[in-house]
Amino acid sequence: MDQSFKIEDVEIDGVPVVSASGEIDVATAPPLRDRLQALTSSGKSTVVVDLLGVTFLDSTALGVLVGALKRCREAGGDLPLVIAEPRILKVFEITGLTGVFPIFESVREAVGSVK
Amino acid sequence: MSMVERKATTVSVDLSIPVQADLVVLARLAAATVASRAGFGVEDIEDLRLAVEELCLSLVGTRDDGRLHLNYECEGDAITVTCWYEADEAPFTASGGEADDLSLRILGALVDDHGRNPAGDRPGAWLRKRRSDATA
Repeated sequence: MDQSFKIEDVEIDGVPVVSASGEIDVATAPPLRDRLQALTSSGKSTVVVDLLGVTFLDSTALGVLVGALKRCREAGGDLPLVIAEPRILKVFEITGLTGVFPIFESVREAVGSVK
Repeated sequence: MSMVERKATTVSVDLSIPVQADLVVLARLAAATVASRAGFGVEDIEDLRLAVEELCLSLVGTRDDGRLHLNYECEGDAITVTCWYEADEAPFTASGGEADDLSLRILGALVDDHGRNPAGDRPGAWLRKRRSDATA
């Protein structure tokens, strides 16, 4: 597992924000999935996922985010993403997911969109 | 060795790793090293790292048994990565589904060509990527 991978979560203005950093791959995606599942299971229908510190992201990570998005939307919420790194955005573009997720360049914008 | 000499040299690297989630990073690392040595730029190297990850995932999905065998062959301005999966247990069946679809879309966008290439009863796949600054 990439030692630099970390997940932290905070609440900003009542909105849960999960911040991931490092490489999200087949080894590190499960802790992210578990954290998002825990939040949605506890009744949070909208969660902001901050990917500003992410340096690598594969299809396993995309699958985790798509699964979380489905759960949030089924509960009447959403899963806004925060992405500024072009390389990470490129993965969403080539898979057609930029049209599926609301994507923002800052956590402040993402939180503001759901308040 | 100069960069020009390096680019002209054919290099073949073999890697065999147990199928464990935390070891797939070795396949990416080898790809980056071979590509860097061949003069690929940062963008191409990052594309290749992700493509090799997806190549491996497209073969093993979430399985955690057996071994992945990879060959990285750099010739001229292109790198070909060939990967075979050798299962320990039950006969391999492709997982299919959304994750596979995402893998294939990523692969298709990042490399010049890719495909399936089973070796006997072992599933296999390959990809080929040219340096983006190479002349046609």
